[in-house]
Amino acid sequence: MSSATARPLVLVIGGALVLLAAGCASAEQPQVERVATVFEDPSADASARCDLLLPTAREQLEQDEQSSCVEAINSLPLDGGDVTGIEVWGGDAQVRLGQDTVFLSKTPEGWRVAAAACTPRTERPYDCQLEAS
Amino acid sequence: MTAQSRGFLRDNSLSLAFGALFLLTLVGQALSGLADYNAQQVAQGLATVSLGDYVTSSTFGVDVMENWQSEYLQFFLFIYATVWLIQLGSTESKPVGEEGKESDEDQKLGRHTEPSSPVWAKVGGWRTALYSRSLGTLMGVLFLLTWAASAVAGWAAYNSEQLADREDPVSWLGYLGAADFWNRSFQNWQSEMLAVGSMAVFSVYLRQRGSAESKPVGESHAATGSSG
Repeated sequence: MSSATARPLVLVIGGALVLLAAGCASAEQPQVERVATVFEDPSADASARCDLLLPTAREQLEQDEQSSCVEAINSLPLDGGDVTGIEVWGGDAQVRLGQDTVFLSKTPEGWRVAAAACTPRTERPYDCQLEAS
Repeated sequence: MTAQSRGFLRDNSLSLAFGALFLLTLVGQALSGLADYNAQQVAQGLATVSLGDYVTSSTFGVDVMENWQSEYLQFFLFIYATVWLIQLGSTESKPVGEEGKESDEDQKLGRHTEPSSPVWAKVGGWRTALYSRSLGTLMGVLFLLTWAASAVAGWAAYNSEQLADREDPVSWLGYLGAADFWNRSFQNWQSEMLAVGSMAVFSVYLRQRGSAESKPVGESHAATGSSG
């Protein structure tokens, strides 16, 4: 193979990777934002908010609070406010809101909240009050 | 020496065989990688992905590109190193005393070109200068491009892991300074250097009858640059 034919080939491969990553991420952003904003809206139906949790996160919440999710969810500081930033990388996402940071994972049913009520820590993972086990 | 053609398949059996092996092993990597990825997803209650989604993912992309870049780096370094460095007795080395770019006569350039010489070897000027370095240059360019692709795919895969670990994603420049990028690069580079170095030494003392990578079985250990 000559350099004239090889260079475009690798450029196409590299470019395709960038475009796929960027394209997929941008296509997922509206769904990620919708799930995060509904989940972080205290006025929304508690049952609907609980349905947006990753099953393992819901189980952990009910175990920690020794009550049903519907009863426990309002005890957590989940009033994030306006969305200030969204990051989607593969099957994982992060939504920054005015007063909270939410992490989401993609499931067969769509995007679900994996961790919320998260506080950043220097050089360490976020400290999340609600998190999938 | 130009041999008589014995048909396309036999004339190109080496490259065709390795081309087919490349495709088969790439498919094998895609299928086994998909199974591994989906097993982890199911264990965490997350969505599984299709083969199409997997082979266009950053996870698959970085696994492929980080290997490709190291192969092209190996050949780029080996092509340039063997201009100047020798290994006494090795099939991978020129004979002692021939270090360097060699004379036009040795390289069949200038007035020493032959009717069958490539056009760019005959024409002189920048085209002959470029053609004289085309093999190493292509390997170097392919290395840089695949290393860059590895850096992009690795960045996306790294950020996905960061989010899964409840950490902030990083910028591309931030990823270039991350241990993950350099660990992936160095672990591939060291294996290539080992393979080239050991082949250069093993070919001094060991033989493989009939292989172009080996000296004739009865050739002395001191014979350098010969192959049978």
